[in-house]
Amino acid sequence: MYIIVVGGGMVGYGLALELQAMPGHEVTIVEREGGRAGQLREELGEMVVHGDGTEIAFLESVGASRADLVIAVTADDGANLVTCQVAKHWFHVGRAIARVNDPRNEELFHRLGVDSTISATRAVMAQIEATLPEHTVVPLLRLEGSGLRVVNLRLQDGAPAAGRAIKDLVLPRQTLISLIIRSDGALEVPAGESVLRVGDEVIAVIPDDAEDEMRMLITGTPSDASAL
Amino acid sequence: MRVVIMGCGRVGAAVATRLSDEGHTVTVLDTDGFAFSRLPSRFTGTCLIGSGTDDRKLEEAGIRRADAFVALASGDNRNILAAQKAKHMFGVQIAVSRVKDPYRSELFDQLGLRTFSPTKVGAELAYDSLFASP
Repeated sequence: MYIIVVGGGMVGYGLALELQAMPGHEVTIVEREGGRAGQLREELGEMVVHGDGTEIAFLESVGASRADLVIAVTADDGANLVTCQVAKHWFHVGRAIARVNDPRNEELFHRLGVDSTISATRAVMAQIEATLPEHTVVPLLRLEGSGLRVVNLRLQDGAPAAGRAIKDLVLPRQTLISLIIRSDGALEVPAGESVLRVGDEVIAVIPDDAEDEMRMLITGTPSDASAL
Repeated sequence: MRVVIMGCGRVGAAVATRLSDEGHTVTVLDTDGFAFSRLPSRFTGTCLIGSGTDDRKLEEAGIRRADAFVALASGDNRNILAAQKAKHMFGVQIAVSRVKDPYRSELFDQLGLRTFSPTKVGAELAYDSLFASP
């Protein structure tokens, strides 16, 4: 697989080290700032190229048209978005991933064709939510393209699902409860007869728009705002 | 027409002044407050210090009620981000963006922005001047 990483800051550098250790991949790291590019090149060798990863002519010169994956991880959201849009719409790269520095940009990026986004703010928020006693819907993984996500919820006292078997629950459409972690840590692959108890953790696959419904069902909390 | 302009450099200030003279409702955004000194005293629009890529600033500038957004900041990518935000997040009908790089200008024109490349236009003008009849 040919991978182009745009941005040679700490994130890009870390990615380069990881990818270098994976056999079978060809990787190019693009860094716009000359001094930084030289420094990276001394350590990582020819995989580092000095140039502007938002410029079409430059991307062409590093073989963007045969890239399988383009990852934009600079500290500038505008640059990351443009890199991904150029990759998708000009070079028809199969997959484009962007780092989102301002979490409010995430939805726009998806709408404009970025396949996957990484947001440090969002990742930290998920960790914070997971440590709250009455944690609500903790996003674990977004299944790109299918409109589904994997989430974690803890069954709260007084929630509609407490003490009821899965077959008796009215779940949102396209929802699958995949795993129950009992309060003693025991794992259970749920069957229709499995009864959900207070303190159980539930791992579920849900459609993007079913978050509120699931939160209400499992935690008894209508919206995210009241939990934080 | 209600117009939000991002960037009050020479071009931004000239466009803002012309629109204001024609009676349009203009709001100009710039991260540097000093930039507004380029506007003449007869300018009747609103000046706001802040970035046109910042959602909250855009809302403060009345982006939701705007008919058009014009991105004239110095960076291509920032202009493209802000103009796409105006169009796709805030539903502004007309989103214009200056994009110096001619290729990027062409691509984002195809993707729904109204772009222009001063590089391309400048090169053409320079060429035409060279061969103009004396």
